[in-house]
Amino acid sequence: MSGGAAAPFRVGVDIGGTFTDVVFLRPDGLLDKRKVPSTPADYSQAIIDGMRAFCRECGVSADRVAEFTHATTVATNAILERKGARAALLATEGFRDVLELRRIRIPLSYNLDWEKPAPLVERALRFPVKERVNANGEIVIALDRAALEPILAQLQAERVQSVAVCFLHSYRNPAHEKMAGKFLRERLPGVAVSLSCEVLPEMLEFERTSTTVVNAYVAPLITSYLEALRARLSECGIRAPLLVMQSNGGLTSAVSAMKRPVTIIESGPAAGVVAAARLACECGYPNVITLDMGGTTTKASIIERGKILRATEYEVGSPVSVSSRLVRGSGYLIRIPVIDVSEVGAGGGSIARLDAGGALRVGPRSAGALPGPACYAQGNDDPTVTDANLVLGYLAADSLAGGSLKVNRALAVKAVQARIATPAGFTLLDAAFGIHTVANSNMVRAIKSVSVERGRDPADFVMVAFGGAGPVHAAGVAEELGIGKVLIPPAPGVFSAFGLLRAQVEHHAAHTVLVSTADLRYGEVEQVFADLRRDLMTRIRDEGFAESAVQIVPLVDLRYRGQSSEITVPLGSLRVTAQAIRDAEEAFEAEFERTYGHRGETKEFELVTCRLVVTVARGIEHGANWIADAAVTQIRGAERDIYFGGERGMLRTKVLSRLALAAGACRGPAIIQEYDTTVVVPPGWAVALDGHGNILMERRT
Amino acid sequence: MAHDPVRLELIKNAVGSVVDEMVLTVVRIAYSSIMKDTMDLSSAFCDRDGRMIAQGLSLPLHLGSFPDAMDGMLAEFRGKLAPGDVVILNDPYLGGMHLPDIFMFRPVFIGDHLLGYGVVVAHHNDIGGRVPGSSAADSTEIFQEGLRIPPLKLYERGVPNETLFRMIGLNVRVPDVVLGDLQAQVAACRIAERGMSELAAKYGIAELEHYFNELLDYSEREARRTIRAIPDGSYTCTDYLDDDGITPDQPVPVKVSLHVNGDELTVDLTGTSPQVKGAINSTLSFAKSAVYFALRSIMESDAPSNSGFMRPIRVTAPLGCLVNPRPPGACAARGVSGFRIIDAMFGALAQVLPERVRAAGEGGTTSYSIGGYDAAGRYVLFREAIMGAWGAGYRREGIDGVANPAANISNAPIEQVENQAPIVVERYELVPDSGGPGTWRGGLAVERQLRFVGERATLQLRSDRRNHPPYGLAGGRPGAPSCNYVSDGERWDVWPTKFTRPIRRGQALRHVTAGGGGYGDPLERDPERVLADVRDGKVTIEAAASEYGVKILPEPLQLDRAGTERLRAEMRRGARPAIGTAA
Repeated sequence: MSGGAAAPFRVGVDIGGTFTDVVFLRPDGLLDKRKVPSTPADYSQAIIDGMRAFCRECGVSADRVAEFTHATTVATNAILERKGARAALLATEGFRDVLELRRIRIPLSYNLDWEKPAPLVERALRFPVKERVNANGEIVIALDRAALEPILAQLQAERVQSVAVCFLHSYRNPAHEKMAGKFLRERLPGVAVSLSCEVLPEMLEFERTSTTVVNAYVAPLITSYLEALRARLSECGIRAPLLVMQSNGGLTSAVSAMKRPVTIIESGPAAGVVAAARLACECGYPNVITLDMGGTTTKASIIERGKILRATEYEVGSPVSVSSRLVRGSGYLIRIPVIDVSEVGAGGGSIARLDAGGALRVGPRSAGALPGPACYAQGNDDPTVTDANLVLGYLAADSLAGGSLKVNRALAVKAVQARIATPAGFTLLDAAFGIHTVANSNMVRAIKSVSVERGRDPADFVMVAFGGAGPVHAAGVAEELGIGKVLIPPAPGVFSAFGLLRAQVEHHAAHTVLVSTADLRYGEVEQVFADLRRDLMTRIRDEGFAESAVQIVPLVDLRYRGQSSEITVPLGSLRVTAQAIRDAEEAFEAEFERTYGHRGETKEFELVTCRLVVTVARGIEHGANWIADAAVTQIRGAERDIYFGGERGMLRTKVLSRLALAAGACRGPAIIQEYDTTVVVPPGWAVALDGHGNILMERRT
Repeated sequence: MAHDPVRLELIKNAVGSVVDEMVLTVVRIAYSSIMKDTMDLSSAFCDRDGRMIAQGLSLPLHLGSFPDAMDGMLAEFRGKLAPGDVVILNDPYLGGMHLPDIFMFRPVFIGDHLLGYGVVVAHHNDIGGRVPGSSAADSTEIFQEGLRIPPLKLYERGVPNETLFRMIGLNVRVPDVVLGDLQAQVAACRIAERGMSELAAKYGIAELEHYFNELLDYSEREARRTIRAIPDGSYTCTDYLDDDGITPDQPVPVKVSLHVNGDELTVDLTGTSPQVKGAINSTLSFAKSAVYFALRSIMESDAPSNSGFMRPIRVTAPLGCLVNPRPPGACAARGVSGFRIIDAMFGALAQVLPERVRAAGEGGTTSYSIGGYDAAGRYVLFREAIMGAWGAGYRREGIDGVANPAANISNAPIEQVENQAPIVVERYELVPDSGGPGTWRGGLAVERQLRFVGERATLQLRSDRRNHPPYGLAGGRPGAPSCNYVSDGERWDVWPTKFTRPIRRGQALRHVTAGGGGYGDPLERDPERVLADVRDGKVTIEAAASEYGVKILPEPLQLDRAGTERLRAEMRRGARPAIGTAA
């Protein structure tokens, strides 16, 4: 499985809405990349096209691919476009509407036009089942197999493709769910069955139901997608293992992904954060904030002491106009470990406007890739962030996508002048700079929602900026946050695909126990961990990895008695002792204090959930060099006028390539021109190339 | 333009993010479910004159309460606060709303310059008084409702006021929870100080204060634009509360008269019931909140909710009436009166802006509390809110099972409830046929049934909309009425809309909320939509025929188009009562 004797020719593929990014770790150890248009009708087409072109150009044979790693938005799109399976839900009698009632709360205040997202399983296909388990896990109403017969008939008549089962308190006692699962799997061959006790054995009925339903909704589609991809790869001679990125930042085998498709939703953004974490670790920066700016949105996340911060839940398909965590109820909730990514609707394509009250607003409305910014000359007259950057000189007419994307600066000028500058009484440049600055402030809000809201000060972090537009805004956003160092990795435009090559295989499992730590029976908790371990090791073995390469980390969710929010902390070992629990309690209190500024009034703790994380190192987590980009090595002695706003005004600014920086550091203002991005170095910042090929910007004033 | 649109947006975002962070802080640290899960709290930053510059999420109905609370606090402490001071207040007659809502203020000093105040109001689980949860509708004077706190310093220059802490601790049923939740508020106020200090460092005090004014002007412009869109004239609507919590079946009218003159609006509540004996009296500050909420909901801009928004709006009510009571009138259950003011406001606006508003929703959250002893003899106080439905609107379906837009709070997870309280939830579902029929159907009601499995306790419940169900609009029918049932194990007895009573092990409560009103003639509803509702069990076959004139054949379900046309023609000829708005 690991690289070993065979030349490590590895492939990472990240499918986005517009482009499919393919990164190759070549037999000679160099990294190479291709950006090809995505093919929404059959996403695997773009992958195969990219692979074939690369193999032809480099004269390598596809059968030498040792590993194929993949991030995909297929599951997310299925939910957004409501194209998932015809799914049914079996719920405890009296509770068939838990899915539709949700947590009741609405995401927006003062909006009478709001509509609740339609449940993924309509009420007609939500079947009440006579059974009940109480909070202690005792069976109060026994499930009678015969009661399932009439439901079976309806499932068949309705031609259901996928069934979710979620009964109350099944995290305590899964017997009824398992019985129903066995019955359905026996009697409905070919129909996917998702049991909540298998997908998410954790307390909270809505969260568990919703997660299980999302799993059921995307399962058939993911299975057929991955099977088709597997077949197409075989056609081109690629027989290497197919690994898929999960939203927790770890890879999983295609087989596991088919069983738990809910874990691979939002896998693209996760890969970029993983790459940033590796990079930060190599460069000796334990604390990092990532800034991933694309065409429509900007995403931010936090790496602290080398570890990626994770959240416990996520809403698929919720609009990204507000970054605050208070906004809940607008999408489809999944409760799984997910890299804590905060997203705002501010990207290159975000549209700027003056509102009626006289404030300059940027986003969340976006011109997208089509018609795109005004400068694309495809019919959009509204100024976007990209147009503003073009007016300011941050971008040049021939700088987008290595000059392959032609843009018209005059149209950008016209849009900014007509829609912003004239009505606001601004000069053209001040209007453009205003758009740029407001976009920055939206990004600042995204970053604050992952940092300050957790009690972290962004000023203690280094920023790693990537995505096509990230490096244009990075220094400006960093200044707002008091961040003094910004890293731009090589090939920032395909950084997420690169992350796929650097991720570990990773699995998470959890089980709610909810018990006071004072009443804990150590043996019982050990047994819970032993069961989790057995499950995960089976998964690892099924995926073909050696158990010897596995690292196991036990974690516990603790809380003060009576509170309802938990903090996940490490448990020293799988052997549960009084000391280990005390250490965990101390770790919990320390983290509580860090986040909230004080410790709790009580010293009584509850152990809510046991968690186990296993990782498998793949032996290629080290760095590698990129082959030189022909397009950007040619820049020599170029300069242009660039507007930096306010007192700085218009400055004659040198334009360099990344390679030119190797000759020595320089001071801002400067522009580093690359194939897939432009780095803006404002006055007051110094820029150099570090020992790893990253562009390092440091604030000097 | 007198201001820089860029800086306006930047400072608006920055202040908005400070107040949001305050709410998040409370939600994360608080002990009680009502703060953590239902999020019955709000935050604000007010300038040195007490003007609200920004309101944080989360409870919209708190919108208008901050200015009056600030006035109450400043009346006592203007010019007398130092850095590190924290003031609290809950008395409705001194700037508060009802006793469980504790306001907390912390001055933000930049050096020795007072920039303003971080303010958090949060609903506490208990504040003492005769009934657990301190929210009973059947108290008759405020002295029965709990501990009254005038503006007092909880901290003086960072030093806790032990006297006040001990006084509060001794007067509430769950001191650990209440004191823990107060600490969450303290932490949130500290966030305000930190966040605003950073802004002052960045922009300078003078610039920041200049933009406070600009932000107020900005929201004022948007409010005036909203009012200008309402044709000049006077619009009146009367809606009703079922009773005052003491005398059953004695309706309590709530009357609003809107006088629109250009971009100014006066809302006169004259004609509303005189002050009542029960605890549904509402302070004028809360009545104003309800009025502001209704107007904010028809505003198209997302300008910040601040004092500027309130400038062109005048709200009046005679002293001694339901919505401007004299002490010692009881007001713990005042929420329901606020909801009814909103319903009446929308009812009045529907006369001129029928396409902007919706028919009435469930009429406000039903709240109940159970305080008593579990099987192990431990004291437990549990409370939650049951919601709800939205009415239908022009080309908009009602929403089934959703929070009231004015009290955007969450439900309590069943598995959490059963793990923490001696309660078993037996049913939590939508109620078929409860949505008001219309071209656009009103939202379905929600039913929650639970059994008490502790030893003995006091059950207190506040609901409404039984005798006066949520109105429909433009020919839409009203939603189904609410109801309460209590069972000894066998028989279900109907209980009043508002009650307090003892319960013991094995007794059960069933509450059914009201459904939302419909919009437009039900006979005009697309038969396919009716069929879909029947398929989903949201409308029965019988109601499809009797309410919508849609004939549906069973097994397999299908539309009888010819039968439907015949039935509808017949019903159009027949004498169906005309349904209008609540007025």
